[in-house]
Amino acid sequence: MTDMLALSQERTQLFHDLIDGKIPKKVPISGSFAHEFAIQYAGKDLTEAQWDTDGLEPIFEKTCQDFYSDLLPVSAFRLPSFYKILGSRNFVMGSSGFIQHPEVEGLALEDYDAFIASPFDCIVERVLPKLYSKLDTDSTQKSMVMAKAFKAYTDEMGNLGRIYGNLIQKFGYGFVNFYSGFCEAPFDIISDQLRGFKNISIDVRRVPDKVEAAAEAATPLMIKMGTPPNPSPYNATFIPLHMAPYLRGKDFERLYWPSFKKTVEGLKANGMRSFLFVENDWMRYIDYLAELPEGTIMLFEYGDPKLVKEKLGKKHIISGFYPVSLLKTGTKQQCIDKAKELIDVLAPGGGYYFGFDKVIITLDSANVENTKAVLDYVAENANY
Amino acid sequence: MDLNALTQAVGDLDETAVVEILEAFVAGNPTGEEAYGVVNACQQGMAIVGELFEKSEYFVGDLIFAGELLNQAIDILKPVISGDKSKKIGAIILGTVKGDLHDIGKNIFASMVDAAGFEVYDLGIDVPPGDFVEKVKEIKPQIVGMSGVLTLALDSMKATVDALTEAGLRNDIKIIIGGNPVTEDACTQIGADAFTTNAAAGVKQCQGWVS
Repeated sequence: MTDMLALSQERTQLFHDLIDGKIPKKVPISGSFAHEFAIQYAGKDLTEAQWDTDGLEPIFEKTCQDFYSDLLPVSAFRLPSFYKILGSRNFVMGSSGFIQHPEVEGLALEDYDAFIASPFDCIVERVLPKLYSKLDTDSTQKSMVMAKAFKAYTDEMGNLGRIYGNLIQKFGYGFVNFYSGFCEAPFDIISDQLRGFKNISIDVRRVPDKVEAAAEAATPLMIKMGTPPNPSPYNATFIPLHMAPYLRGKDFERLYWPSFKKTVEGLKANGMRSFLFVENDWMRYIDYLAELPEGTIMLFEYGDPKLVKEKLGKKHIISGFYPVSLLKTGTKQQCIDKAKELIDVLAPGGGYYFGFDKVIITLDSANVENTKAVLDYVAENANY
Repeated sequence: MDLNALTQAVGDLDETAVVEILEAFVAGNPTGEEAYGVVNACQQGMAIVGELFEKSEYFVGDLIFAGELLNQAIDILKPVISGDKSKKIGAIILGTVKGDLHDIGKNIFASMVDAAGFEVYDLGIDVPPGDFVEKVKEIKPQIVGMSGVLTLALDSMKATVDALTEAGLRNDIKIIIGGNPVTEDACTQIGADAFTTNAAAGVKQCQGWVS
């Protein structure tokens, strides 16, 4: 057995123990960098390199070499090729080359009923042409554009899959994948892709019945989307949560929570655990989170680590809370002290792996030396 | 009419009541003077919304709805407001900084400072430092507000402050930064005068600067 394979197995064991509710040998670490970071870190031009996924392997390798992680630390979600073919309005490049999600309206107010009656048909017929300008055409042309975009998408994902596999082998990363599926909370997909942040905030007050019915209607679609072909107990479906912190408690309780809980439970019934990015501050909803199936993975952005450990620590798997903003502005010692502080609170008894409070998306998002120092500190010192 | 009831209805975000009160008011052929009293009452209602937001009784979604409600109120009042005679307490230039396309927070802040009586110049999203400099030269505002959601926005904010300093404009203005990544440390490093992740607190800061 090669050294790297042995290392892979050792790291896989860390995460298997974590997931099986055992205390691992040490605190597992998942560094998370977006491909945009990796491109800039390798000294390449983001506006060019993200078009050529064939060339990304040596670029990703540099990040893998320099930043400690027990799982593959680089991943790519949004690539320009297929969005360009589609004439995307919901994923658009900023002047620095970083693709972002601006405010969009994919579903008109008067189309709620069509969505509620048949979400999939409504998305194909009414929403996609609004989100993707090149699909706003006759059906023949539309089919061609869609086929081209899907070909580009599967080519890119094929390239990335190959690169991920090579890097996992080369660097001896663990064989668990918390991104093996993807979906959103039903209320979030209606907010982010269909109505937009502004419109949904108004809909919640003017047409709450429609919002509730739409979230309900989107639920089976999200469960289907989030279930990969081969579910595994050691992999997870990634669900980045968005809108709950911006809602009043009573709106959350009625319009957000029921369909989201059903989604997580539906994925569980299909053999998938959920990996939640708990964006912003969910502390006023912590008792709801406690209701989610055992072993749900939750990476927190903000909030109270002590409270989370106390309320969720025995049932769920916790990560996050490490502020990327501190990596940007703090001294090396402050950064290391913060890691120590979080580990002291979150690690005892297991059920925790080290992760930043969000993905590091670009080179200027964090100080590179601080980031390396923190990951090395945790790797060397957080043993059980 | 009962101005306090109107202020309260706006504060409660009670759309039906606000629309009813304003439509009845407009139907009574009020004078321009009376209309400004009513606009003022709506603005005071927005101040209540800001207070409830600071107390965590309202959340971001409520601020967005409040902005919409205020726009709707102004639309109803337009026929009886002749020309723009409202007194402005100051001018503020706003923008989401270079590299960042997010504008929800900026738009919320814009509608709240507008309601608080500022003349607002919104430069939009992904705004290069040079555009801030040009607009400051043209308008000579008291305040510049920079917004961003991505951590990369911090560097752009710094570049913008540096550009304003280089152009010799920094001492004439107050600079406030807002959005998800801003912290006290970031504020110091960027060289801004204030930072906030809370639009209502930011509005108070701006009011403090011009009072």
